[in-house]
Amino acid sequence: MNPYWELNFFQFFPVFFGRLFQLLTGALAWKDLASDEVQVLVLAFISIASALIGSLLVLKRMTMLANSLSHTILVGIVIAYLLLAAQGGQELSINFPILIAAALATGILTTVLTQVLSHVIKLQEDASIGLVFTSLFALGVILVTLYTRNAHIGLEIVMGNADALHLNDLKIALGVAMTNAVFVLLFFKEWKLICFDQGLASSLGFRPALFNYLLMLLTSATAISAFRAVGVLLFLAFLVGLPLTARLLTHHLGTMIFLACGIGIVCSIGAVALSRHFLTVYHAPLSTSGLVVVMIGVAFALALGKKKLSSRLCVISPFLA
Amino acid sequence: MIEFFTDPVLRAPTIGTMLMCFSAGIIGCLVFLQRRSLVGEALSHATYPGVVLSVAFAALFLPFSEDGAALSILFGAFLSGILGLAVIGHLEKKLKISSDAALCFVLAIFFGIGVLIASRLQVTHALWFRQIQIFLFGQAATMVDAHIYLYAILALLVSSAIFLLFRYLEILYFDPGFAESIGMKTLAINGVIYFLLVLAIVIGMRSVGVVLMSGMLIAPPVAARQWTKKLTSFFLVSALVGVAAGFLGNFFSVMIPKWAHQDKLPLPTGPMIILSATSIALFSLLFSPNKGYATRKLRILRYRIRCKEENILKALYEGESYTASSLQLWQMRSKGWLEDSKLTQKGKEKAEKLIRLHQLWEVYLIYMGQGAERVHQSAEAMEHLLTPEMEKQLNELLQKEKR
Repeated sequence: MNPYWELNFFQFFPVFFGRLFQLLTGALAWKDLASDEVQVLVLAFISIASALIGSLLVLKRMTMLANSLSHTILVGIVIAYLLLAAQGGQELSINFPILIAAALATGILTTVLTQVLSHVIKLQEDASIGLVFTSLFALGVILVTLYTRNAHIGLEIVMGNADALHLNDLKIALGVAMTNAVFVLLFFKEWKLICFDQGLASSLGFRPALFNYLLMLLTSATAISAFRAVGVLLFLAFLVGLPLTARLLTHHLGTMIFLACGIGIVCSIGAVALSRHFLTVYHAPLSTSGLVVVMIGVAFALALGKKKLSSRLCVISPFLA
Repeated sequence: MIEFFTDPVLRAPTIGTMLMCFSAGIIGCLVFLQRRSLVGEALSHATYPGVVLSVAFAALFLPFSEDGAALSILFGAFLSGILGLAVIGHLEKKLKISSDAALCFVLAIFFGIGVLIASRLQVTHALWFRQIQIFLFGQAATMVDAHIYLYAILALLVSSAIFLLFRYLEILYFDPGFAESIGMKTLAINGVIYFLLVLAIVIGMRSVGVVLMSGMLIAPPVAARQWTKKLTSFFLVSALVGVAAGFLGNFFSVMIPKWAHQDKLPLPTGPMIILSATSIALFSLLFSPNKGYATRKLRILRYRIRCKEENILKALYEGESYTASSLQLWQMRSKGWLEDSKLTQKGKEKAEKLIRLHQLWEVYLIYMGQGAERVHQSAEAMEHLLTPEMEKQLNELLQKEKR
């Protein structure tokens, strides 16, 4: 029995935080988590993971490469499906190693192909990115329809399905979020240097290219952890929307990452609560992944409003004093 | 082959997608030259909520019909694309967000709104929802003759707009500063360009789909740029590549399952079109006569071989020692320079000419004031490069020096 049954938006929170407290104190076992809680936790970990690397991507102006990755990952996922089907059709999320290997392989493939096009063949960068990801995505769509004849898989990879999440997805999301946190915090100074002055970084002997590849690898791993929950496209909203919102509020990299994570967590809880609210009050099942993205959009608008308002206040405050 | 244009089932998708790829190829050139090819990617996703919302509206007020859905979708997609464009402009100009992040943000947020509304529609209006899904990945196979006329009109609109604006575009792309200084309304022209871009995307969604539409805007210009330097032919070649990709995509999507002797359904057309276009682009990037990567490398290789041969020739003439593989000697024999490792008359003439060029170049460099001790080295490199015209000029210079 789901403890959130027939709850509205405001009733959701006391129950949620109460059960979260129980979970942390050990009174509630992990396997007894309700589906709403799994959703909240998965989305929150995805937001943390994406906020960490998304901030770096936004500052390094590499988000379009991340967009490209989120498309090409389809090929990796499809090949992982096919490999699993050849072994005898297990449930996908159980075989995490194959999935992550496929993701990393496609991540490297995409980055290398794009680099080759733009640096060796000297095609302009926007066109190189576009050429690589559209063709690989097309290949992915063809493979999906060819081998599965099941457009549903394709749709679910693109759109995500938060209702189908279970504990394994939670483990994956947690693992990826921790990996990202370790890599970002471990090299925090290096990232900062590379984000703000790549020339200085390379003259000091750091290898910006190496860090770029690392960032792309982390991005593909994060995309893999996110695709079952929100789909490969909406994952971009986490990756770009959260850092951009935080960027409106602060000028410090550390604060920006911290804020982005916080906003992501708030949006995740809010979206699941809203989704439950709509189901209870209007009997309308809405896509939770869509709701999170809209929440992130709203957060951006609010941050924008706050920034505008404070800049107005700055202008008139001398007159008030 | 011909049945793709006559068969009543195959005709509509083939001609329809060819028209659509035609306009995409032309518009793609415009954004390609601005180095903003990825705007297409953001805008094609930004049309999705428009598609969904317009269908939702139509579903509220109208009885279900496929034509009604198609028309309202075109309209809604267009509006939402324009809205996406405005938001991108605002983010970039007013908020100083870097272009890539602004594009990505609009792409993801708009798409998310679309997904949210679609999830509601899926439950309440399943029939209409199916019409929306067509636009996500495209479905050329179910197009009908009415689409041909619609797309023909839109393609005509796009190409005539480009034709009328061509002079302005030429100036704008090659010298934006000059365009501004002669009082051209660059803002208005850019507005028209992006208006056409949204139009081309809306046209293309039905056959290629929201997610892949940007590929059709990128691949044809990339291919065309490799073959031509002139703006006019750039547009034409790009449109042609688009049309060819449109046809090939349809052709392969129907024929490959037949060749494989499987009675399965045809392959999805949209991705096949993209793959055809990308293949053409890749082929051009590698093998186009002037700019292609492979041809460039081949040219360098040929030049190296020629230098080596000419050096051997010189060494033979002056009786110095040399190293040469038997392949090189065989090639020189086949050119008639050598006979049993001895110079022929032709070979001697060639060697004399080379030595002459070497001397000419040395003279020129001394004349230009370079130190005599470095002259020999650069002359070694240059003797392979001197063209007949330069040789003549240097000869005249040499005569003057003598006097």
